[in-house]
Amino acid sequence: MRGVASMSVTTPTGAARRPARLGDAHPLVPYLYILPFALFFLVFVVYPVGFGFYVSLHRFDLLSDTQPFVGLEFYRNLFDMSTPQAQFFWNAMKNTAIFTVISVPLLIATALGLALLLNRPIFGRAFFRAVFFLPGVLTVSVMGILWRWMFDNQIGLVNAIQTELLGGQPIPFLSTENIAWIPIIVGTVWWTIGFNMTLYLAALGNISQSYYEAADIDGATAWPKFRFITWPLLAPVTLFVFVTTVLASFQLFGQSLVITAGGPNRTTQSAILYITEEAFSNNQFSSATAMSFMFGLVMLIFTYLQFRIMARDARGEA
Amino acid sequence: MAIPAGRADSAPIARTKEERRRFLPNDFWRFVLLCVLSVIFLAPMYWMIITALKPENDVISTPTQWFPARPTLDNFREVLTSPDGNILRWMWNSFFVATVFTVLHVLLCALTAYPLARMKFPGRDLIFWIILGSMMIPWVVTLIPTYLMMLKFDWINSFHALIWPGIAGAFGVFLLRQFFISLPKELEEAARLDGANSFQVLYKIILPLSVPALVTLAVFAFMGSWNNFIWPFYVVTDIDKLTLPVGVTTFSQRYVTEYGKLMASTAIASIPVLVAYLFAQRYLIAGLATTGMKE
Repeated sequence: MRGVASMSVTTPTGAARRPARLGDAHPLVPYLYILPFALFFLVFVVYPVGFGFYVSLHRFDLLSDTQPFVGLEFYRNLFDMSTPQAQFFWNAMKNTAIFTVISVPLLIATALGLALLLNRPIFGRAFFRAVFFLPGVLTVSVMGILWRWMFDNQIGLVNAIQTELLGGQPIPFLSTENIAWIPIIVGTVWWTIGFNMTLYLAALGNISQSYYEAADIDGATAWPKFRFITWPLLAPVTLFVFVTTVLASFQLFGQSLVITAGGPNRTTQSAILYITEEAFSNNQFSSATAMSFMFGLVMLIFTYLQFRIMARDARGEA
Repeated sequence: MAIPAGRADSAPIARTKEERRRFLPNDFWRFVLLCVLSVIFLAPMYWMIITALKPENDVISTPTQWFPARPTLDNFREVLTSPDGNILRWMWNSFFVATVFTVLHVLLCALTAYPLARMKFPGRDLIFWIILGSMMIPWVVTLIPTYLMMLKFDWINSFHALIWPGIAGAFGVFLLRQFFISLPKELEEAARLDGANSFQVLYKIILPLSVPALVTLAVFAFMGSWNNFIWPFYVVTDIDKLTLPVGVTTFSQRYVTEYGKLMASTAIASIPVLVAYLFAQRYLIAGLATTGMKE
């Protein structure tokens, strides 16, 4: 700062300017800007990964002073189906896979459908868009409690419609195996559809009308226009939506916890729900960390794709 | 001027007329479908509000009251004065934590993104790729080790645990770097010739020009912190220090089937985000639409 002030009163020659800027042009300056972030990055991003791996290789007990090295024992346990850990872990992995396989296509298709409905101008367009996006701003626990009540075994809105308007028997959604997924999946679609819809709407807005005008001249109807123009041009967005939706579905936690508490009989217990149970209810931190590394390895496929998408953006503008 | 304007006017009119004639029945059914879908989407909200307004007996009585016969604010009164936890306190906690987190996060990311975008120095690209590469670390991997660190720091039941661990998020650096790079170099060079140092360039030129990106990042950071659930769920258990999302679940465990009270609590918890959404909608949607979308 002082350098700047002194510079303005000295003669503006190259010789006078160079020493004035010297403090600023010091080779360490860029690193000083990055330093605060770097410290937090090292402590809370890099270190926990290494520390986690260390914990998973030791028998980590909060009540004990020593943490004996056990090598890959906790990883091996996960492949020994006689241990409850292995049974519960792979059950939870299977549940997470079921949820992901069902919910991802649903979340992409419904969001694209809504975006196509809203793409062309229509009366009340802003209102409809706000309505579909609105549930997404609710926090997961609010959404979970709401859908638990919607699908209440006896008197929720769904069963009220089922018994009083359709004249059927109440369906105990929350306590019936397999059917317990319905409240979780319906709630998740309702909750997250707006995000993907917004991404698709933005992408649809970027498609040049000239493609459709050319197709009109050739007499193309709605389906070929969608199949051969819209869908291929949406491919980059679909990839992005797919990756982020898969990652979000893998991380299923709040909905399972609040709507069904992982039940009935652990049939809706997600991987993260079980890992946290093992860590925070059973205090088996090493075992839980080993599981989170196993689970993280599967997720890595998709976080890597996410990274590739962002890296492409970074290179594109650099 | 007059002739091209006239031509420009008549052409769109002719086209809209043609379009109107061609698309009217189609648009009508599209509108009807959107109305039906809106009713379905709003039904849970309606159900939440009417349940909250019913006395507990009417909530469980059959046949179902599709509209509250004896509307009352008792549920709201009981939730707001509940001895099991102060929901307004939780709201304040969430607001405080999210605000502090957002300010620090945006500041830290801006300071980091600036040299990565606008300076040349050895290792710059390596640093950027390391930060970006950290997005590949699934957060579940760091959940338990970070919890154990919080134990060691004695940060369990402290707002420190809710603010600091997520502060070095790579996405913010990525977003701001991309935006800073896109700014024209000329303004910066002019300021340099006038004798501004790098910090003055940052806060007098780069930051004022980057308000849209900063606001987008701030909205994302605030929402992320406000909605964070799994981490505060385990790291804060002291009833007075809970954040709103976690606090509401303690109600759901306490009033298991007292849905009148539960819905009053979820309605109260929803009000601030719904209001904020109305104001921040533009930034939220603009921000969403610019992330990860380029080919």
